[in-house]
Amino acid sequence: MATANHPAAPKLSTGVQPLRAAKGSSFLWRKLHSLLGIIPIGAFLVEHLLSNFEALKGPAAYAAQVKFLNSLPLVRVLEWTFIFLPIAYHAIYGLYIWFRGKSNIVYYPWAGNWMYLAQRWTGLVAFLYIGYHVATQRFLGVSLPENPGASFHKVQAELSNPVILAFYVIAMIAICWHFAYGIWLFAAKWGITPGVKSRKRFGYLCAAFGLALAIMGLAGIWAFVSPQYKNAPENVQVTTLVEPGR
Amino acid sequence: MASPRIIVVGGGLAGLSSVIKIAEAGGSVDLFSIVPVKRSHSVCAQGGINAAKNLKGEGDTTWQHFDDSIYGGDFLANQTPVKAMCENAPAVIDLLDRMGVPFNRTPEGLLDFRRFGGTLYHRTAFAGATTGQQLLYALDEQVRRFESEGKVKKYEGWEFLSAIIDSKGVARGITAMNLRTMELRAFPADAVILATGGVGALFGKSTNSVVCTGSAQSAVFQQGAYYANGEFIQVHPTAIPGEDKLRLMSESARGEGGRVWVPRKAGDKRVFSQIPESERWYFLEEWYPKYGNLVPRDVATRAIFKAVYEYGLGIDGQPMVYLDLSHIDRETLDRKLGGILEIYEKFVGDDPHEVPMKIFPGMHYTMGGLWVDFNQMTNIPGLFAVGECEYQYHGANRLGANSLMSCIHGGFITGPIVMKYAKSVDAVEGDGGAAAELARQAEINKALISNQGTENPFKLWRELGQTMTEHATVIRYNKGLQQADQKIMELMDRYKSVNLSDKSQWANTSFAFARQLKNMLELSRVVVQGAFLRDESRGAHYKPDFPDRNDEKFLKTTKARFTGEVEGPSFEFEEVDTQFITPRPRRYDAAK
Amino acid sequence: MATKTVTLEIKRQASPDSPAVWEKFELEWRPGMNVISAMMEIAANPVTVDGRETTPISYDSNCLEEICGSCAMRINGKARMACSALVDNLEQPIKVEPLSKFPLVRDLQVDRSVLFENLKAVQAWVPIDGTYDLGPGPRVFPAQQEVSYPLSNCISCTCCMEVCPQFNEATGFVGAATIAQVKLFNNHPTGRVLAEERLRALAGDGGVQECGFAQNCVEVCPKQIPLTDAISDISRDVLFQKAKDLIRS
Repeated sequence: MATANHPAAPKLSTGVQPLRAAKGSSFLWRKLHSLLGIIPIGAFLVEHLLSNFEALKGPAAYAAQVKFLNSLPLVRVLEWTFIFLPIAYHAIYGLYIWFRGKSNIVYYPWAGNWMYLAQRWTGLVAFLYIGYHVATQRFLGVSLPENPGASFHKVQAELSNPVILAFYVIAMIAICWHFAYGIWLFAAKWGITPGVKSRKRFGYLCAAFGLALAIMGLAGIWAFVSPQYKNAPENVQVTTLVEPGR
Repeated sequence: MASPRIIVVGGGLAGLSSVIKIAEAGGSVDLFSIVPVKRSHSVCAQGGINAAKNLKGEGDTTWQHFDDSIYGGDFLANQTPVKAMCENAPAVIDLLDRMGVPFNRTPEGLLDFRRFGGTLYHRTAFAGATTGQQLLYALDEQVRRFESEGKVKKYEGWEFLSAIIDSKGVARGITAMNLRTMELRAFPADAVILATGGVGALFGKSTNSVVCTGSAQSAVFQQGAYYANGEFIQVHPTAIPGEDKLRLMSESARGEGGRVWVPRKAGDKRVFSQIPESERWYFLEEWYPKYGNLVPRDVATRAIFKAVYEYGLGIDGQPMVYLDLSHIDRETLDRKLGGILEIYEKFVGDDPHEVPMKIFPGMHYTMGGLWVDFNQMTNIPGLFAVGECEYQYHGANRLGANSLMSCIHGGFITGPIVMKYAKSVDAVEGDGGAAAELARQAEINKALISNQGTENPFKLWRELGQTMTEHATVIRYNKGLQQADQKIMELMDRYKSVNLSDKSQWANTSFAFARQLKNMLELSRVVVQGAFLRDESRGAHYKPDFPDRNDEKFLKTTKARFTGEVEGPSFEFEEVDTQFITPRPRRYDAAK
Repeated sequence: MATKTVTLEIKRQASPDSPAVWEKFELEWRPGMNVISAMMEIAANPVTVDGRETTPISYDSNCLEEICGSCAMRINGKARMACSALVDNLEQPIKVEPLSKFPLVRDLQVDRSVLFENLKAVQAWVPIDGTYDLGPGPRVFPAQQEVSYPLSNCISCTCCMEVCPQFNEATGFVGAATIAQVKLFNNHPTGRVLAEERLRALAGDGGVQECGFAQNCVEVCPKQIPLTDAISDISRDVLFQKAKDLIRS
């Protein structure tokens, strides 16, 4: 083909690449991330907050609950496969998702966009908190699986530091928010709520659930700092039966 | 033998339908378009597409459609191709339906049809208020399918510059310019189809899109192709004047009780609300007491023009009149006209519930175009034209909702014809003149970019638009047309000292525009001089000094030929094919 | 009385590899002005506010009726169609920038061909047998048409992609527009024949899973297309398709 003389033209940047149709495995990993957030992580969160709620009944009841959980069959296997590994995956892949997104809240300060951003920040708070919490409460200091009776005191000692307490409160709210909005996102992105109205209604439901969860969680924290159980004994006698009240 | 290589220029309905037929028949297509084809001007069509499917039990026939089209076109259209179009129309609709166009449906799931201007039948299939967009997308999707199969190569962002014509006068390809890199290149082909749309830009502002400059038609006209019936330009009576373009305001605004008025006092500076009823002139109601604001399009158009240009009563001295709906209650307006009032508010910023709309007739459609034979071929062998850029389906005035059909039907018949032509054409000798043509274009580019002068091409264009709109749209006087021709010559002269403020060789839009402008100027003379010569009134062409149709003298196709002389093009007249329907007077105030 | 003026600040870049500069223009205000007409004005008189001669601005535009999808750009930071951006409704100085997610060509011109590539990747068409006369198409009931029509109104302006936090070079996300087109064609009685392939395509890298449901797409869409609904529906369909494939393979 005949071409007239022409100077070398500047090159365009490559830009966003087109869809890699039917290629790659990111679908699986992303859906796994999404699913794990609900089950088992979300389910475990609910269980954990329910367990914490036992603390309102006092150190003995709390210890009983800890002992009960640690008496489940194959508890170490359960702990790793249904708690630690899923959380680790959810957290690390979540960070990966975050780093690949590009928030533009400055130009588009819309509700959904705020939620998108909030989901990432609450996720980060949760990640840091859970890392700290698991390290200090599960692996450092008195081993609670072996000494369930020491659990109330251990938590109480931890929360006696106001900075740590604030960290716990903030993290509790962030985690509940993250979970509640996560459920909403799950329903939207798995096609359970494909209509504007259904998403809106389900949004209210998730908000109520998240709020309830947060209140329950904060109540659990309150049990450890309230005057009622001030200076709980370092260790309490644990029966496998849960005592009614004190 | 290798599969024929066909070039299609233009990616609107006509171009894409040609591409589909050629690709399907095994040809290889190079498809050229200034904009990505999905953004072609065909997207703008709102109303619908005509086909006598007779799904409403009205006894509609393709003959009726044919008769309405010929009658609407004031008998200037050659009847053979129009008849073929009307007969093919129902099958075209079926095909579009199969392609997935989301046409509106009846409860039974069949195509719904509405009534449109110029007919008594429900003959217009439609997809909401965006029929053109939906049709274009359906064709675009089919072409994308062929593209992914390697049968079509798209050159989007390339502008057609000229045809390559060999020593025997046969079209052998095109030259085109890449609008990003400004690269000039020659593309050989066995045949070339132009599907480059209307010429709205000749009139400065029109309802057409930015790319509808007529530049391609003008380029091949200057290479020897005949341009036919250039003087026939359809004007829509109620367009919304904008700073950048004119936008359509549907006729239904008048249908639902809209009243057209101007202040009685010339140059009245008051806002509308301070002008008392007694100082408002409802000129349509006064002049046409029987029909009032609902006079037919052409009558309304002329009346508005008269009020503005003869009486000097345009709003604030501007060419605009009020189309007032503000006397109708909000609820009624929302129920009947909701969507179109939103469009007005979006682009004008005023709420038509409260404020009268400002409207003015606007250049809307190009009936004339490149002369083609019944095989859609221009007088240059191997160069075909289809769609709005050719002349043969609409005569002196286009029937509403016939444009989309003429484009698609035209493309569908042209594809196979071109394939047949390409298979039988003699092999090209040498490069067919490609190198010479490329050198000629390079020379033009070089001269333009290094030109030293003072004229800004965009300013010249504005002046062209003003003079064309004033003298060559709705009401034409020979004196005015002569003035316009003088003005165009002046502009051509000033064009010689055009100076581009942008001399770069990368995405230089003013450079491309300056090239188009030259072609616009040449084509404007065809319109103006064609109108000057036609001393009668027919269809969209109206001369108060010659108010009647004159079949004896002017039942003829105007054919303009480029001469390169100062006097402009030379004209000849060709008999119209009227073998099926004998011409009769065209009136819409009585049974036809 | 001093004439009312309009001030625009336009981000300009002569070519992909030249530096970006802001140029300021002051124009006489006229009723009904929009960002395009302001730029047409600049083309006819390309002089900046400090009297310096410059070049007309390069930008994409065509229909100027918000139906061709050409003139998307960022106006006061927000992606939108310039032809419907009335000057009177904008805070001044009006800041005009090119879309940020697409390769820049010049000034406000960007290359948005990725969308058309994506449409190819999901086979966004109805695979008809041929264009010869085969009679009417399949019956489509009005309720079905009312679902399809809004989706078919997509003008390929790419605003939904521009505003999406997930649409970027790292994810290579396909964007809402293409997903909505998949829903459109998967709902068509004949288009459905490719439904499984389209869904598998959308499960590829950059597919529907990358959506973060920030919902900016549906907020910004100039045609009010129910994009989030489409994403939700298609995500479910893709999931079912993958599950089916897993069981059957």
